[in-house]
Amino acid sequence: MSKIVILGAGIAGHTAASHLRRKLPKEHEVLVVSPNHNYQWIPSNIWVGIGRMEARKITFPLAPLYKRKGINYKQAKVVSFHPEGDADHPPYVVVEYVYGEQRGEKEKVTYDYLINATGPKLAFDLTEGLEPGSNDVYSVCTYSHAQHAADGLEKLIQKARNSEKPLKVLIGTGHPKATCQGAAFEYILNVEKELRRRKVRDYIQLKWISNEPALGDFGMDGMLLSYGGEPMTSNDMVEMVFRDRGIEWILGAGVNKVEKGEVHYENLAGEQKTEPFDFAMLIPAFSGHGFKAYDKTGEGITDKLFKGFMIVDADYTPKPYEEWKVQDWPETYQNPSYPNIFAPGIAFAPPHSISKPRKSPNGTEIFPSPPRTGMPSGITAKLVADNIIDSIKKGKTSLEHKGSLGNMGAACIASAGYGLTSGSGISITTYPIVPDYQKYKTTGGRNIKKTFGDIGLAGHWVKLALHYAFIYKAKMKPFWWLIPE
Amino acid sequence: MKKKITKAQKAYMQNPIIQFFKFIYLNIRILLIVAGGHGGTRK
Repeated sequence: MSKIVILGAGIAGHTAASHLRRKLPKEHEVLVVSPNHNYQWIPSNIWVGIGRMEARKITFPLAPLYKRKGINYKQAKVVSFHPEGDADHPPYVVVEYVYGEQRGEKEKVTYDYLINATGPKLAFDLTEGLEPGSNDVYSVCTYSHAQHAADGLEKLIQKARNSEKPLKVLIGTGHPKATCQGAAFEYILNVEKELRRRKVRDYIQLKWISNEPALGDFGMDGMLLSYGGEPMTSNDMVEMVFRDRGIEWILGAGVNKVEKGEVHYENLAGEQKTEPFDFAMLIPAFSGHGFKAYDKTGEGITDKLFKGFMIVDADYTPKPYEEWKVQDWPETYQNPSYPNIFAPGIAFAPPHSISKPRKSPNGTEIFPSPPRTGMPSGITAKLVADNIIDSIKKGKTSLEHKGSLGNMGAACIASAGYGLTSGSGISITTYPIVPDYQKYKTTGGRNIKKTFGDIGLAGHWVKLALHYAFIYKAKMKPFWWLIPE
Repeated sequence: MKKKITKAQKAYMQNPIIQFFKFIYLNIRILLIVAGGHGGTRK
């Protein structure tokens, strides 16, 4: 009998738990440890953030589902890692309960295999004044943040109706090395559409602020894509959309402080600037959780497990941008020191960014960190689950299933406005996610046949269809496994 | 001069009949690209 412990119940953790439970005989234990009691379908937070979708439609409680499916569950957070165990225990993690009668209690949870799917820490603290809801600045990173953002947006709309001077909305990234530009991009387009629907668009100036060096970088060094059968850069595509919707932009901006109604940032020219706003949504930096690890004698071995995020089978050798290779990226998400530990999804430490690193003359690094969104999280979690299943069945380590971001496609269906007949979406697929400049020398590292963009109502329907399909899948309803990651 | 979205293109983008077929096409194309396989990059 094997015991597989999964830390986290987001897209990666829940996907891994679902597949493990479905494919492994009942004598093997699958245990999920997560401080969250709800599963949330994060991509739809955008619609919650404009007040067009209720949070209950993108969440459901985990405990009843796990009980029904035979997955054990502890509502707790991980405190420390002990991959060698101690004199009395095999490998274990220390967890602390966060809910119920056991709240505050700590427990050693032993395992045969450990999947770290803890995702990122939303590091609002790395930017002064960025805490959501303070200083009129909001976030859409969680459903509760998105609900606050919707309330803030509603207040702005009411204010715009009575204001004599135009109001200012600022949306983008809130840290010099923030990622997830795609979410902010979706949000600004949805806000723009909502303001038009509410007939206040003419009274509000919309501005994009981002650490990207160019529009459409998305933390992926931009892309050359096929649009309407012709090649087009993502930069041109995003600029075309922003111009069409009257959205202005500030690029290369490393936001370092937020005060009520003012964002302070340094740009790539080294200038310190200030931008006023009445409503802002800024994505924070993502960081590791600061976990500690110990060996069997109690000595600290955090460096063997973590490099901010968890160390996996990537090539972390420091080297200049020109020498980066697609082969640097991990394939199995296995920790090299402890082969029974894996970190799919967002929990693994990337070998380097994808966008070219840039510094201001003052030495401030201003460029996007690599994005790792839902689809790759699901795919990498499933391949980790499949490797563990094979290893258990064969009785020896099996790493047959591989999935490098350099050999994997992703789709970004960016909502550009909610509405069954008036909505819009920008559908972008990218293959591979990490550009392979050796294989695709003339097309910016991407396969142009598989990297395309499209704008229109159909994109909105695709996003809606994905919303319902993935919530169906996450609820593990009949034949859920037929829906691909 | 960067590309602009023309009025005709906007009408195309919001035409429900055209977009219905586009919806089917997009789903199939996205499925083929994303679920069409993945693997390693090292030998």
